[in-house]
Amino acid sequence: MSEKKDIVKKQDAAVEKTRALISATPAVDIYENDNEILLHADMPGVAKEDVSVNIDNGTLSLSGIRRFDSKGVFAWEEFSDVEYIRSFSVPQTIDVEKVKAELKDGVLKLHLPKSEAAKPRMIEIKAA
Amino acid sequence: MFTRMSDIDRMFGAMDLLRNKVDRIFGDFDRSYLYGPAFAATNSPRTNLLENGDRFEVQAEVPGISKDNLDIKIQGNYLEISGKRQIDIPEGYKIHRNERGTAAFSRSFTLPDDVDSEKVEATIKDGILYLSLPKSETAKPRQITIN
Repeated sequence: MSEKKDIVKKQDAAVEKTRALISATPAVDIYENDNEILLHADMPGVAKEDVSVNIDNGTLSLSGIRRFDSKGVFAWEEFSDVEYIRSFSVPQTIDVEKVKAELKDGVLKLHLPKSEAAKPRMIEIKAA
Repeated sequence: MFTRMSDIDRMFGAMDLLRNKVDRIFGDFDRSYLYGPAFAATNSPRTNLLENGDRFEVQAEVPGISKDNLDIKIQGNYLEISGKRQIDIPEGYKIHRNERGTAAFSRSFTLPDDVDSEKVEATIKDGILYLSLPKSETAKPRQITIN
């Protein structure tokens, strides 16, 4: 019992507590035509550099981090720094090489082209 | 039985962990709007109001809304942000999922002080509307020199 120990650990008593980044779900629209799948996601406040799109093993994951450097005192606060995260299953027929993404006005637009093999094909009937 | 001080320490450590977790659950309970999808709950933009010495700053989430579809009105300490969000469904596409809604919205606020409507600046960046509203001369903090 001679050993002297703090009851509360040092890291818990730290003066500054960092706020963990909260994850949010972006609202998405998904469209499809014969050539591609289109995905639009609302990510207001996310800069182009902070977006990452990953396609791996049939899973598409989106992530976008939003940070404000606001100066002043909040009179009210309805939204804050978040990480937008969402993942989807995508068919294996997506041509990963040709996926395009654009970010405009806080909306991420993803073009997921289907590979040639997966496109519907019109079969011509030849007269016998 | 506790034979060592470190056992007690460990017990308190576990209790602290539990307390932090419970704190987080209750802390998040009434603040879920902070990190839900933008525009979802009320079909109008969420806003922040900051006060910074001689100016107010308003931030509003306006994803996919161009500046032509936004209207900002200021009179004294009354601020109104209205607009329309249009979702254009691309031609010839099938819809699988539609969570982003079309909406016309209007939000009005009473700011804590009058603002100088001539000097208000508005910018849109990455889907966030930033309004910088300098307080009117009478509402500004003033340095008083002692004679």
